Amino acid sequence: MSRESRVAMPRAVWVDRVRCSGHGACAQIAPDAVELDEWGYPMLTGVPVDRRTGREAVTLCPAQALFLQ
Amino acid sequence: MSIVDEIERAGLGGRGGAGFPTAVKLRAAHENRATLIVNACDGDVGALKDTWVVAERLDAARRGAQLAAAGRPVLWAAHRGSVTAHRLAEAGLAVLEVPHRYVSSEESSLVSLFHGGPARPMSKRVPFVFGGRDARGRTVKPTLVLNAETVWRIAQIDEYGADWFASLGTPSEPGPRLASVTGHVARSGVVETEAGSPLAALLRAAGGLRPDAEFVLVGGLGGVLLTVEEACGVAWSSEGLGRFGGDVGAGVVRVLDPAECPLEVVARLLEHGAGESAGQCGPCMFGLPALSQQWRALVERPSSAAARQVVDRAGLVAGRGACRHPDGVGRLASSSVRALEGHLREHMQGRCEVRRMSDVA
Repeated sequence: MSRESRVAMPRAVWVDRVRCSGHGACAQIAPDAVELDEWGYPMLTGVPVDRRTGREAVTLCPAQALFLQ
Repeated sequence: MSIVDEIERAGLGGRGGAGFPTAVKLRAAHENRATLIVNACDGDVGALKDTWVVAERLDAARRGAQLAAAGRPVLWAAHRGSVTAHRLAEAGLAVLEVPHRYVSSEESSLVSLFHGGPARPMSKRVPFVFGGRDARGRTVKPTLVLNAETVWRIAQIDEYGADWFASLGTPSEPGPRLASVTGHVARSGVVETEAGSPLAALLRAAGGLRPDAEFVLVGGLGGVLLTVEEACGVAWSSEGLGRFGGDVGAGVVRVLDPAECPLEVVARLLEHGAGESAGQCGPCMFGLPALSQQWRALVERPSSAAARQVVDRAGLVAGRGACRHPDGVGRLASSSVRALEGHLREHMQGRCEVRRMSDVA
């Protein structure tokens, strides 16, 4: 697989649960991939995100707790 | 043939609960020149076997640890002020003293403690045997954690060979195995057994089930609850126990005292589990107290809707922590809903004998 097609592939998101403080930005940016529980902590749906959305969610996470796998 | 090849051929899986193939861990550890921490904490509720290994088989366990460490430093983790910590220090071993909290002896908690951090679980992007960084970005050196029984088994494999080892247990869980049997049995203690042996035989080895026993908890704070009928018909293996959502884990078995209402016993375990959250991960910090309260609500007003809420909540916390503590407590709750269905019905009809007696007392 070429490098380009690999980076363009939809990616799964991963949350560092220790870092996460439940801001919920990820669920705003990537609602298909992330839902929030009643306390505002992310529940991952398993739906992969496209590269642009993923990057945005990772960059805008205030706790820097979101990663792309 | 190297010891790691022999361990692989033997099929040794870790004895701390997760059962991960030891040879895979060792190869990564040797490639990364990892420091070894031997976990002798008996961290689970009702676990006795690490204490037993240190008391009864320390020379062999030490030999196994040396083989596993392959020249790298070895530390022995034990609870602060425990007999085990004292014994290890007496034997001249380097002791990592661990605070008395449930999650403090979890694998990554020990790694964190060893690095001067708090004894709390760390998020694992990659296993710490490769080294990495904690949530604050600090460097974590390659560190391997093996259970005390695991290193003893390594010494046995070295001495008696992989064929002997694999002749015991089941193909997926080979080898001899220790279990800690406590509660309403004649002789609480450590039993040497193997996976696939009937759970009833394990209980017999601890002096046998008393005729009034009703429920058996297989696994500790993250275990599954079985009725005595189920317990007497099941093989003690992850295959057999898988039917009930359980596994052999770290080998903990506890027979509940029939003088106590099992709903109360589970309520106390869930409260304890909630209190033992390290308070780091939101889903565990908030989810476990909520689960515990929902259980209380179920006990006060049993209904199928209340039971469903417990099971749903348990499903919601699973897989959402840095460690498996929320998964375990959730499993205990949902398995208890299943095993105690009949007892819950008695409560609905207002006739729990045990409860009435304890109310009078």
